[in-house]
Amino acid sequence: MVLHTQAKRILALAMLAAGQMIWAQTDPGPRNGPPSAGNPLPGLTAGELAYFNEGLARFREVDSVKGTQPGATGVGLGPRFNLNSCAGCHAQPAIGGSSPALVSKQSSQVNPQIAMATNFGATNTIPAFIQPNGPVRVVRFIKNADGTPDGGVHDLFTISGRSDAVGCRITQPDFATAVAQQNAIFRTPTATFGAGLIEMIQDATIVANLAANAAQKKQLGITGFVNRNGNDGTITRFGWKAQNKSLLMFAGEAYNVEQGVTNDLFPNERDETAGCVFNGIAEDHFDTTATSPEAAFSDITGQAAFMRMLAPPQPAPPPQGPQGQSVNNGSQVFAQIGCALCHTPTLQTGLSQSAALSNKPVQLFSDLAVHNMGSGLADGITQGLATGNYFRSAPLWGLGQKVFLLHDGRTTDLVQAIQQHSSAGSEANGTVQGFNGLPPQAKQDLLNFLRSL
Amino acid sequence: MTIRSLGICSALAFGTAFALLGVAETDPGPRKTTEATWGQPLPGLSSADLAAFSEGFAKFREVVSVSGTEPGAPGVGLGPRFNLNSCAGCHAQPTVGGTSPRENPQVALAKAYGAENSIPSFIKADGPVRVVRFSRGGSAGPGGGRGNQPPPPPGRGGRGPGGPLAGLLSTAPPGAPAVGGRPDGGVHDLFVIAGRKDANGCEIRQPDFAGAVAQRNAFFRIPTPLYGAGLIEAISEASIMNNLRADQPLKQSLGIGGRENRNQNDGTITRFGWKAQDKSLVTFAAEAMNVEEGVTNDLFPHEREDTPGCAINATPEDRGGAAIMAEFMRYLAPPVPAQATAATERGKQTFASIGCATCHTPNLRTGKSNVVAMNEKWVPLYSDLALHDMGPGLDDFISQGEANGRDWRTAPLWGLGQRLFFLHDGRTSDLAQAIREHGTAGSEAYRTTAKFEALSSEQKQDLLSFLRSL
Repeated sequence: MVLHTQAKRILALAMLAAGQMIWAQTDPGPRNGPPSAGNPLPGLTAGELAYFNEGLARFREVDSVKGTQPGATGVGLGPRFNLNSCAGCHAQPAIGGSSPALVSKQSSQVNPQIAMATNFGATNTIPAFIQPNGPVRVVRFIKNADGTPDGGVHDLFTISGRSDAVGCRITQPDFATAVAQQNAIFRTPTATFGAGLIEMIQDATIVANLAANAAQKKQLGITGFVNRNGNDGTITRFGWKAQNKSLLMFAGEAYNVEQGVTNDLFPNERDETAGCVFNGIAEDHFDTTATSPEAAFSDITGQAAFMRMLAPPQPAPPPQGPQGQSVNNGSQVFAQIGCALCHTPTLQTGLSQSAALSNKPVQLFSDLAVHNMGSGLADGITQGLATGNYFRSAPLWGLGQKVFLLHDGRTTDLVQAIQQHSSAGSEANGTVQGFNGLPPQAKQDLLNFLRSL
Repeated sequence: MTIRSLGICSALAFGTAFALLGVAETDPGPRKTTEATWGQPLPGLSSADLAAFSEGFAKFREVVSVSGTEPGAPGVGLGPRFNLNSCAGCHAQPTVGGTSPRENPQVALAKAYGAENSIPSFIKADGPVRVVRFSRGGSAGPGGGRGNQPPPPPGRGGRGPGGPLAGLLSTAPPGAPAVGGRPDGGVHDLFVIAGRKDANGCEIRQPDFAGAVAQRNAFFRIPTPLYGAGLIEAISEASIMNNLRADQPLKQSLGIGGRENRNQNDGTITRFGWKAQDKSLVTFAAEAMNVEEGVTNDLFPHEREDTPGCAINATPEDRGGAAIMAEFMRYLAPPVPAQATAATERGKQTFASIGCATCHTPNLRTGKSNVVAMNEKWVPLYSDLALHDMGPGLDDFISQGEANGRDWRTAPLWGLGQRLFFLHDGRTSDLAQAIREHGTAGSEAYRTTAKFEALSSEQKQDLLSFLRSL
């Protein structure tokens, strides 16, 4: 009896192991080969291309407090910051992308926030959630000390101790306590490839797509709504909660929030502690003395122009043979189980001033709406109309070369990322259930398809 | 009993009438000054900044039509919905960059270039330029169908269009909208391009303003003047916060609280607009371009209405214009006050002694600026740039950022001497009446307004003279 039970147990374990070996679907991982993105859109005019190139330079510009650090000639870093350039965080698989990674097959990099902590004499400690092989992260606190909602970004680092910030003595926030109190949530950089196309999708297109396939959505428990701007009432669409209106707004916000560079849109320092403000505001501004339009650009205008003209990620060329068949099957499975209801394969741009952006299909795999993603992904933060559980359907184009997945980069495993879509209250529960019920090969096909994007 | 009550009422009415007739102080009215002293660039600008000011001035005056083909209106992008066709048309008194002019340009615009708009009841030829916001009924927002709606906010949220009004109708205060639906708060433009010669095929209609007014769902705002706006932009957050924390015993004795409005993007203090909802001059310019004129731009690239046949141009219709107009506003000099007199000096002292200056702070200070003319300067704006609960009498049942319906930014009083219409909705042209409107029960200005009422008529007159000297 005892033996018998043990034997059964061993048999069961052996079967489980065998099952995993035979049947487990594995994320093929980020694709090899050259970067799938980073080039300008095809069909730009010579003038637009000049803007793109100037914008690329602004996007790569490295900032120090006063522009006096060798190699960091941009002005305005800090008093608090997460990194010292746009391109440092938006790096994978090419400039404009998402978090760089040690395991990148295009450009292996240690998390640049590690070195930044002590750069140029700074004396920052590195919070536990910043790892050399982990994603670039920004931190938001859910609540203030008095219990009221916070939601804002609390920068990792201060300029205290830097050779270009003598006299500044502010200290970093108490991240350890915030983490211990479960008050800290993280976000990784969103990729900006094809962002100009996303910007040119008309509101009516987004609303119509959200209203389409109502019966199927209802059956799966999918609703969603669009986030809107309090200023003009139109649909916002950039950022993890679709909280940002436009590329210029996105650039202006990031410049002040992530780097501490005040600019024409966000002209006031986020920390004005005496001894830490070294420059007149706005640190980045329209140059009225410039002699050419490109030189007159403020940095944020340039950065927005770069993102606007940046081509979308190119999917992998269709492979021959069984692997190609698998990707094709996966594309069908993606639609059948309902992924495509929110990760809408294609939306169309409207009439744009730029021919390269006008009336184009945009293969972004997103509906640009926000959906309740359940308690497991909820971050407790409200931005615009998107409350704690709500996230924008992340565009999946470029997923093939993305390393860190989900808003906080909690996983690099695509299967895990899919499973994380399911938790109490999530609109994706029905679809994840469908995924879990798939035959193993169909699951693998789906993963192969996703990594082909 | 009834007779006695009536008697008291009569006595009260008589007393009030007597007070008005007998000892009423009078608003001296807008003062007559040489307009050449207003609307100039800040002193001490570099030649490059002066050139930017001039370029911005031209852009600010640009008149737009749908496709730029209307004679005299070469700017592109008007509509599909709009309130006017240039910035300078609304920001006009006493010069370009100011506030609502004496003759309302919205009246003529209703029918301009073939348009067939009717003129809502609240727009008068001799009344203020107005924009309309609806408090509720969000599902019928700009553009009509808005798709799925977010779930009702949990409890009392403070942000965005909405939260605090959840459940309003069950405990509706007087004056609350008599209409259900979700919070709206957005601007509903007066006019459409339908019928215009440059908008063939567009057939949208104006909102039902009469219905909205009947349901007490329509709330108005007039243009804020832009003199000295660059200085306001450069005021340090430390100056605003230190000022808010100052004079606590006095503020507490007067029932004055106040708090700043903040931007969701970067967490810094917002300061422009009637509820201090706008972050910067560029944002302000870009928002107004799209919301008031319908001109899509770098910051707000999407038409608020994309009904087929009405969205005629490629977007964005303007690139760079908001930044250029911001240069004009940034470098526009503050209003020039009148020469002080004995009466205005006395009024100034009263202004401080009864507590007006507690919120209408005479001076705040700019921080470091890369423009010398704005670097570490005192700014005599007469505002703390903070939000205060102004009571049920000024409630508009609209939330913007941290500001709820009764919360308003302390309006800067500089330039008051030349202003024609007062309060956010331009409800009065009488300065004394504007002061009294501050004083409904529950308002942070209740006690200060009572102190004003208790002044002698000479003191009141001096106070009004002081205000009209600004």
